[in-house]
Amino acid sequence: MLDENVTPAIAAANTKQMRMEQSHVELDRWMERYQQADPEATSALIGAVSPALLRFFKSQAANREQADDLLQETWMRIHRIRHTYRPGEPVLPWIYAIARRVRIDGYRRIRRITVHESLMDALPEPSPRIEPRDPLPEFETLIAALPEGQREVVTMLKVGGLSLEEVARATSSTVGAVKQKAHRAYERLRKLLQLGSESAPLEEANEM
Amino acid sequence: MKCDDFNSLLADNNQSGTLQLPEQAMDHLLACVGCQEFMRAFDLPAGAEIPSTELLRQLERTVTADLLPVRPLAPRRYFFATFVSTFVVIVALGAYCLGAFGIPQMSLAQNVAVLGALGASVCLLAWSIVQQMGPGSRHRLPPAILPVLVIVCLALVMASFFTVEEEANFWTQGLVCLRSGALFGLLAAIPFWFLLRRGAILSPRVGGAATGLLAGLVGTTALEIHCPILELSHILTWHLGVAILGAVVGFFVGFLEPNLVDVTSSLP
Repeated sequence: MLDENVTPAIAAANTKQMRMEQSHVELDRWMERYQQADPEATSALIGAVSPALLRFFKSQAANREQADDLLQETWMRIHRIRHTYRPGEPVLPWIYAIARRVRIDGYRRIRRITVHESLMDALPEPSPRIEPRDPLPEFETLIAALPEGQREVVTMLKVGGLSLEEVARATSSTVGAVKQKAHRAYERLRKLLQLGSESAPLEEANEM
Repeated sequence: MKCDDFNSLLADNNQSGTLQLPEQAMDHLLACVGCQEFMRAFDLPAGAEIPSTELLRQLERTVTADLLPVRPLAPRRYFFATFVSTFVVIVALGAYCLGAFGIPQMSLAQNVAVLGALGASVCLLAWSIVQQMGPGSRHRLPPAILPVLVIVCLALVMASFFTVEEEANFWTQGLVCLRSGALFGLLAAIPFWFLLRRGAILSPRVGGAATGLLAGLVGTTALEIHCPILELSHILTWHLGVAILGAVVGFFVGFLEPNLVDVTSSLP
């Protein structure tokens, strides 16, 4: 084995993955108990899934306030259609599929509002830039430059800890399509990181 | 191994709990600063962005306030069987009411090809709809593409087995077929809609189009069994047209009245 050669990043990733796998089983059990109206399991499920969901919404170009609203909306919908979860199946794709729908609806709602509000805006928002002082940009800043589909896939894989199969289920897609998006996203992110290390703005990467 | 191969490996290997890199990849990672930085970019700080305690409590309160046990959705095969048997019953009703004059007019190859293609399309669509009813289900074919694929394949099968001929009353006879087919399609749409409401279709437009197409195929199949006209333009326009019309209507129902299809915003 190559244990002595494992870098801290890989070790952390391995530990995180192992913890995720273990917690996935627990999440599935909590969901089943939630369907049976167990309040403790419900609270545990909300506490366990909400941070990743919040981060999912934040990485999809929502601000904190919008992300909080989307999180609440997601739990309301989850509650209404909790009967559609089939015991024995992975719960995360089920939750993320609903969250994804809430995000799309929320995005449309926000867009409708901002179409009217944009007339009042004097200056456009500056594009996010990688701070030269920071050795690595924040995850959200980094992936903000990705196209929506790739951003969604990378966030589910890296923040939600979903497998390729689970992301495919959550996005009503195929594993092959998810793999392709992930690969393209990684290529683009690598370019961004290279540009970032040269203190170049993200805008340049977008133009590439 | 190159950085690009490393990307491919990461993209292929993202299974929960199996981030075990092969020896070659490890060697590359240890030698490549770029890849180390890349891996580090995904090492997310734990709890960097967590919901406030207040928000979590509020969510718990809201969700647990009316917490009642629910019966999980029935297994997929039951829904699938119900969709298919509804299809068969209404087609049989159509054949009984209108008469099966088309079957003896067609050759064995035409019968097998057309009815076989229709049957396969119905099974594919019914399974896709059943999968869509439960969020997070596995899709072998993307549900947004399937209706288009079904229509194209059916058109190709029909084009391969029928020929274009002169037809005296294209519009008159065609409109009679369209009306009869649409009637049976509409009849099928009602039980399909009730079935659909048991699940949660998250994409009302896609779900609406697929269900509309399935209902339309009831009409198309009934017409294939009934109509003795074997002229290609008649079949494509007035028989397959019923299915296309169903898909378009379903799409617009999902677009204009999403609550009719998407129960997530209305029903418990």
